[in-house]
Amino acid sequence: MERTNSMSQSAKSQQDLYLQEIEGIDDYWGPTFRAIYDNNEHISFRDKLDQRIKHHDKDIERLCNVSYQGFIEAIRELLEVRSQAKKLNIEVVNIDKKLQENAKNISNSGQELLQARRVQSNIAVVIAQLNLCLPVLTTYSKLKKQIADKRYYPALKILEELEHVHLPHVANYRFSLQLRESIPKIRESIEIASMSDLKDFLENIRRFSPKIGEVAMKYANEELANDPTLVGRKKKRIVPQPDDGVGTKSYAEEDLSAQEMIDFSPIYRCLHISTVLGSRPTFETYYRAERTKQARLVLQPPTNMHESEESYRAYIHSVLGFFILEDHVLNTGNGLITRAFLDEMWTTALSKIVSALQTHSAYCTDATLILRIKDLIMLFCMTLRNYGYTVKPLWELMRELRDHYTEVLMQRWVQIFREILSKENFQPLQVQDQEEFELILSEFPLDADIPDDITFPYLFSFSRMVPRVYKEVKEFIYACLKFSEDLNLSQAEVDEMIRKSMNLLLTRTFSGCLSSAFRNPHINLQEIIQIIVDTGYLEEATIYLDQFISNITGEETRGVTTGVVQGQPVMFRVAREDAVKQICEKLRQKVDEFLELESYDWLLVEPQGQASTFISDLIEYLNTTFISFTNLPPEVAQVACKSSCQHIAECMLSKLLDENIKQISMGSLNQINLDLLQCEQFAARGPVKDLQDDVLLSYFAKLREILDLITSWDWPTYFHDYGQETSKYKLVVPDVAITILEKLKEGDKRTMFAVLKKSERDKKKLLETVLKQLRQLSQIPPSKN
Amino acid sequence: MAKTYDYLFKLLLIGDSGVGKTCVLFRFSEDAFNTTFISTIGIDFKIRTIELDGKKIKLQIWDTAGQERFRTITTAYYRGAMGIMLVYDITNEKSFENIKNWIRNIEENASADVEKMLLGNKCELEEKRQVSKERGEQLAVEYGIKFFETSAKASIRVEEAFFTLAKDIKTKMDKKLDEVMNYSWFKIQC
Repeated sequence: MERTNSMSQSAKSQQDLYLQEIEGIDDYWGPTFRAIYDNNEHISFRDKLDQRIKHHDKDIERLCNVSYQGFIEAIRELLEVRSQAKKLNIEVVNIDKKLQENAKNISNSGQELLQARRVQSNIAVVIAQLNLCLPVLTTYSKLKKQIADKRYYPALKILEELEHVHLPHVANYRFSLQLRESIPKIRESIEIASMSDLKDFLENIRRFSPKIGEVAMKYANEELANDPTLVGRKKKRIVPQPDDGVGTKSYAEEDLSAQEMIDFSPIYRCLHISTVLGSRPTFETYYRAERTKQARLVLQPPTNMHESEESYRAYIHSVLGFFILEDHVLNTGNGLITRAFLDEMWTTALSKIVSALQTHSAYCTDATLILRIKDLIMLFCMTLRNYGYTVKPLWELMRELRDHYTEVLMQRWVQIFREILSKENFQPLQVQDQEEFELILSEFPLDADIPDDITFPYLFSFSRMVPRVYKEVKEFIYACLKFSEDLNLSQAEVDEMIRKSMNLLLTRTFSGCLSSAFRNPHINLQEIIQIIVDTGYLEEATIYLDQFISNITGEETRGVTTGVVQGQPVMFRVAREDAVKQICEKLRQKVDEFLELESYDWLLVEPQGQASTFISDLIEYLNTTFISFTNLPPEVAQVACKSSCQHIAECMLSKLLDENIKQISMGSLNQINLDLLQCEQFAARGPVKDLQDDVLLSYFAKLREILDLITSWDWPTYFHDYGQETSKYKLVVPDVAITILEKLKEGDKRTMFAVLKKSERDKKKLLETVLKQLRQLSQIPPSKN
Repeated sequence: MAKTYDYLFKLLLIGDSGVGKTCVLFRFSEDAFNTTFISTIGIDFKIRTIELDGKKIKLQIWDTAGQERFRTITTAYYRGAMGIMLVYDITNEKSFENIKNWIRNIEENASADVEKMLLGNKCELEEKRQVSKERGEQLAVEYGIKFFETSAKASIRVEEAFFTLAKDIKTKMDKKLDEVMNYSWFKIQC
């Protein structure tokens, strides 16, 4: 540096600067060199530079001298380090090898762990996802199960849950989409299925309703039997349960109320479903329409219902069942049907039922069947009432049925009476011993005194028919009563009804039978007499029948003062009058038969001196007959006797006045006189009791007067007293006298020789005179004074 | 008045109660049969007109009660009877045995020349027969009267019996009449 300083100042400092620049800058020496060349200093500067290099070489030499020893040592140490490093390197490699070996397991485990961790986390994710899906699936399976179990309503609920709760969570799954799509289909199928269930149900209840009706009626019946308020007149007639043990057992077995027998769930289900599905009005309409249709079917009675009780029962059961079900639906159906709807249906049904029962029962001619029908209807009413239906028209029907029943009973009793009468021998009833005797007395209340010491065989005055008829009338009363049982009629009503029926039975039915018995052409006098006697006994017994009714009904005996008993003699009066007429008729026929045997010789000269045979036979016959009339009520016998006498008298007179007989002789008149005497004797004897002596004779009076007048030729008296009350011949009408005189005149003509005799001529003249006077008399009506 | 008949015969039916007298009469007079047993009380009669040899004959047939208690009433009718039918029941031995008693009754009460006839009724009841036909015939021979087995129910020989009886009566009557005529003719000739 000192050299540099030794050169010119400026040059010297310039060069130093260049140096500095070259030393300071590793490259980019260009400008510096340029500057050097520009200044032409490059020779100086090269020197300078050489100097500088020499300077630096010297520095380097000194520095190397100073550091040489250290350098050697350093090399030596470095060598040492090198070996040591080599050793270390080996050591490290070994260690590293060992480590490598040891770490290999760990690394494997770590790998496995990592794998496991990954699986675990995957599983967790899957579980989470599955948890989301699972409810959907379980719900779906539940839904399927419910549908399979036909529990449509829960199914619908589940479906809804599925749709709204579960499915949104799993919307990104494909199955969820599928499910979602299938939901409306399921809904629809549920609706269809529930509808078909309902149809099944409807079909089912149609089939079951008779059974329900039957069971309901059974309960009603049992209730009735157990009802303590219904004790009274009918209690004794309730048939006790055949076997209590069995009865209660079977009761327990079937201890289901009627509606419990039917599973109503389909209907509720349907209702719920339709509610859920919003189709409730449709459903209601459908249900009502279906039931109305069913009602129509149910109410259509079987065509041959009148034939058997069973068909009535079936009909009533099905109707009852139907309405019990409907009632139940009304109560539990949550407004499926309304009270108004049911009431309306019932009202129409009721009129149909009534008319059906009316029509069919009208065909019925079997009283027992009617009774059974009545019981059925009764029970029907009771049961219906229990279910709150109005049954008033049915009660009306019952009344009609009662009348019909009475009619049918009458017809039956007509048969019974006819049978009794046809089997009747119309003989006084004979009993062989005490036992029989008492049997009759137990059957028939005999008012008359019975002698204390009766001997057997004992003969009653009435015939077998009397106790039989009495018994039958009682049976009839019982039969009548049977109908009024349970009918909730007042006793007075029952009483009145029975009395009315009995009166009708006796006045119409029995009398009718008797009358037709009379009309039998073969009936004989004796039988008619017995009938009259019998009706007498029956008449007396009506008092007992009256008491009998009172005992049954508990009503006061209607006494002799009230209408019923007053009417009772009337019961038989028709029959009796008929009988009396018949007796007279029969007697008259017999009399006619005798009179037909008449064989008068009208030109008889001398009478036989005794009555004609036909007359004596007739009188004898009448005598015998009237003896057997002693059992008859006297007035009947009297009427019969009077009518016979009158008839005989009339016939004899008409024979005398017969236009076909032109000629008669005095002798024949005398014969008739003899016959008349026979008759008069008979009349005077009093063939029947308690008849005034001259009553019978009065019938013969006219004929007697005619015969007396003509045989005694007592014309002066006749003409003298003519028209007077006291006249001996007041009954002889001039015309009759003329007729007979004419006949006599004709008869006289036959005896030609007689004209020659003077007495005969006088007689003839007299006869002419008498005739003339008589003709005059007959011109003017007899003046009564 | 013209007579409606030429003869009037009074016939009488007798026999035990229940042998069928009324039925026989019923069959003959009305050609009918009634099963119900109605025992005749006292007496009854029926009239039927028949024709024999061109003559109208009125038969007044009296039906008597068989029962003992009516005996007094019925015997009164024996007197006027011109023919009597004795009826028994072939199924009833007793009724046959009683015929003897009835015959005695006739002998006591009826006119001696009454025409009689024996009838064994109910001959349709062969299986119940108690009285053989031979015994009936024998009895009839014993009394010198005619015998028929009849059935009112089956209408067997009823008509025949009555006609026969009527004919016999008529024959007897005609014979009598002839005798009377002959007698008076004889008297006139003398």
